[in-house]
Amino acid sequence: MESSERVLVGTVGYHILRNHSVGPVLLPKLKQQDWPAGVSVEELNWGPIAIVQQMQALPEPYERVVLLVAIERAGRAIGNIDLFRWEGHLPDETQIQACVGDAATGVISVDNLLVIGEYFKIWPREVLLVDVEPGPETAGENLTPEVEAKVPVILQLVRRLAIEGAGEQDAIHPLRGDTLFETGTYNYGESRH
Amino acid sequence: MCFKNLPIDFDEQGNAFLKEGVADPYEYKVVDLGEEQDKLKSLLSKNGFIRNVDYDPVTRVAGALAFHSVVDLEKRKVLSTNSMATLFRGYEVILKGRDPQDAAYISSRACGVCGGVHATTSALAIEMALGIKPPPLGIVMRNILLAIEYLYDHPLHLFLLSGPDYSEELVGATNPEIVAKAAKTAAKNQAVHGYKTILDIMKDLNPLKGKLYLEALSMTRVAREAYVAIGGKYPHPQSVVPGGISVTVTITTLNEVYTRLIKFFDYGQKVTGIWDDIFDFFLECDPEYAKCGIRPATMADTGVWDRPDYYDASFENCDTWGNARWATPGILIDGEVVTTNLRELNAGLEEFVEHSYYEDWNGHPYKTDPMGMPLSPNHPWNKDTIPKPGKQSWRDRYSWDTCPTWDRLPMEAGAYSRMYLTAKAQRAPASKFMENTGHSMKINVPKHTLPETTLEWSIPEHWNAFERNRARAYCIPYSAMVAMENWLLAQQLIREGETKVSTPYKIPKKGTFIGFGAWGAGRGFLTHHLIVDSGVIKNYQIITPSTFNAAPRAPWGAPGPYEEAVINTPILEKYNQPDDYKGIDILRAIRSFDPCMPCTTHIMSNNSDHVVSREVTTCACGIE
Repeated sequence: MESSERVLVGTVGYHILRNHSVGPVLLPKLKQQDWPAGVSVEELNWGPIAIVQQMQALPEPYERVVLLVAIERAGRAIGNIDLFRWEGHLPDETQIQACVGDAATGVISVDNLLVIGEYFKIWPREVLLVDVEPGPETAGENLTPEVEAKVPVILQLVRRLAIEGAGEQDAIHPLRGDTLFETGTYNYGESRH
Repeated sequence: MCFKNLPIDFDEQGNAFLKEGVADPYEYKVVDLGEEQDKLKSLLSKNGFIRNVDYDPVTRVAGALAFHSVVDLEKRKVLSTNSMATLFRGYEVILKGRDPQDAAYISSRACGVCGGVHATTSALAIEMALGIKPPPLGIVMRNILLAIEYLYDHPLHLFLLSGPDYSEELVGATNPEIVAKAAKTAAKNQAVHGYKTILDIMKDLNPLKGKLYLEALSMTRVAREAYVAIGGKYPHPQSVVPGGISVTVTITTLNEVYTRLIKFFDYGQKVTGIWDDIFDFFLECDPEYAKCGIRPATMADTGVWDRPDYYDASFENCDTWGNARWATPGILIDGEVVTTNLRELNAGLEEFVEHSYYEDWNGHPYKTDPMGMPLSPNHPWNKDTIPKPGKQSWRDRYSWDTCPTWDRLPMEAGAYSRMYLTAKAQRAPASKFMENTGHSMKINVPKHTLPETTLEWSIPEHWNAFERNRARAYCIPYSAMVAMENWLLAQQLIREGETKVSTPYKIPKKGTFIGFGAWGAGRGFLTHHLIVDSGVIKNYQIITPSTFNAAPRAPWGAPGPYEEAVINTPILEKYNQPDDYKGIDILRAIRSFDPCMPCTTHIMSNNSDHVVSREVTTCACGIE
């Protein structure tokens, strides 16, 4: 279980939105785990600008970031888990400005976090997203049974990625800033956790 | 006598009463907006230069705002405007039936910037309803917290949201002749900000890369750090409670705040110097810019920053403690102060929903305030929020915003209203940091790395987009100096052993209690009206600054402030073909208000967990 790498496990998402809040809901369970010395577990809901500023001030940068998120995507069933790798590539400047504006005025969004982080060059070489399909946005404190049933898998996956990084067994979808805001159905193929 | 339109009169002792002999004292005319739309439709079909111009969303504003206009690109005039809040903000519904102790935490979520302001306004409403007077240090620390919140908010607006409208990149795309002139124009305040020419400033206003843009981002961190020393976290503080604050304050806390606060002494000097240079330059370049976003200086402000020796939370004394605030509450009509009394400010408030997606409500349970001043059926204490999504139509309903008025007049709200009223009314306490002259506010800024100086904001002749932003820039040193004044008070209280920060209270399980919180967001005026009945919230009504500013037409046809400001805006942008038109003048006018459309709002409908906000269609295309 030893790891010399500096790794950040972060959760992003609004509270009290059922499956959309999978990050905040599972944060206590992630924090309770016995992590290797280099791994930090943090809620990353407090604003991309503030997160950028905090990461810029770190004496040593992270070598890997694993984000637990829930983004509604077409073509997935509730509870499907997909793994994404952030590959950078910024959208146009108007879109970046919009992201900064939203971030500075309180919007919680993993897309904004990724783009703003990329713009200000805070991301390490490996940024992985564990993305759980939440289904339509609904209000409530608890996860639905479909996602609740996947909690052990989610926790196990986040832990493995944090400690070992992505391996050959992982089917990883690329995620890029220049296509992040395009609408359309993504082809997820057959690989699912 | 402050009311001209509402049927409220005063006797010789100053007691208000409802005018006698009026059959329906609160009736109002509802005009048909269809006639105007028919005329526009006809013009649009005949003249290729007359076009619909829709912004959906308006970018670089907080939250979901859309704006529809009809412009004549040949005559360079705006013919018609409609401001649309495109999402439902349902906190009034969410808070019903809840424990009043939760209100500060829940209402804080109404905004991702001004959460602390909502929390405090909520606390103030409960304090008034239940008679809870916070201890002096609790009051003073809330003042510091608020001032710091402004120090986060104003740079954010000036450089991230509105600032790019004056940058080399954007001005070069719409008015290249101004950029050429800027290169040859010396900056008057070089000694303070270091920029030799106006173009040098404009280059650093460029979004994402400009040094001023990036510096503003870093200053938001300084303000946040100071804020969390008291509030615990930002933007939704954990320590603001009815009765004061819930965090121990020590000299160490104050020192942590001070080391951040002093950075705004220099920054305030720099920012005012920059925006004075930029706005003076634009207005000298083309005096027509003075008409951009122009409307009468008709504004409302609640006043902020309570004096610990005056504030007792009571409704009975609200005029006294309101007038003692470091920022004076009141109403300005066309630049003249008509009242500084919170009771009159409260009694003149009404909200109308004829052009909004709400059902009208029945009932008039509070015919007067607790001291007998008449209240309209449309007053917030009488209002009920009944959302009713429907078809968007310029002839009928087109916004989730309501139309609030004071004495039946649409009102503007902003950080600048706070400064304008305070400077004009000359009621604020004597201070070594601020002097109100009746035509200006002098702000004595102590030295940090820059030498000490006196900055002076003067009430402008014309109230327009440039002056809104200029005044907002001066609100940075103003807020910093109020924070400093309160910081010194806090030091004194701690030295004297007055370290209590909150007053315990209990929510009565029986009886009905009413109150209102009057505080100010970064964007100005904020009220929360509260009715507690049998231990729970029976009614809760929030009026934000953008509720005023983004309002749709009044029932009698008067445009809301954004609508009026844009109608009055000349089109000064250069374009060869109508298709090249970008609309920078309209956007400058709208952004000068610092729109904040509370967003990310979610509400559960009865007996389900369905989210209503997702049902709303916002696209303005094809709307009648």
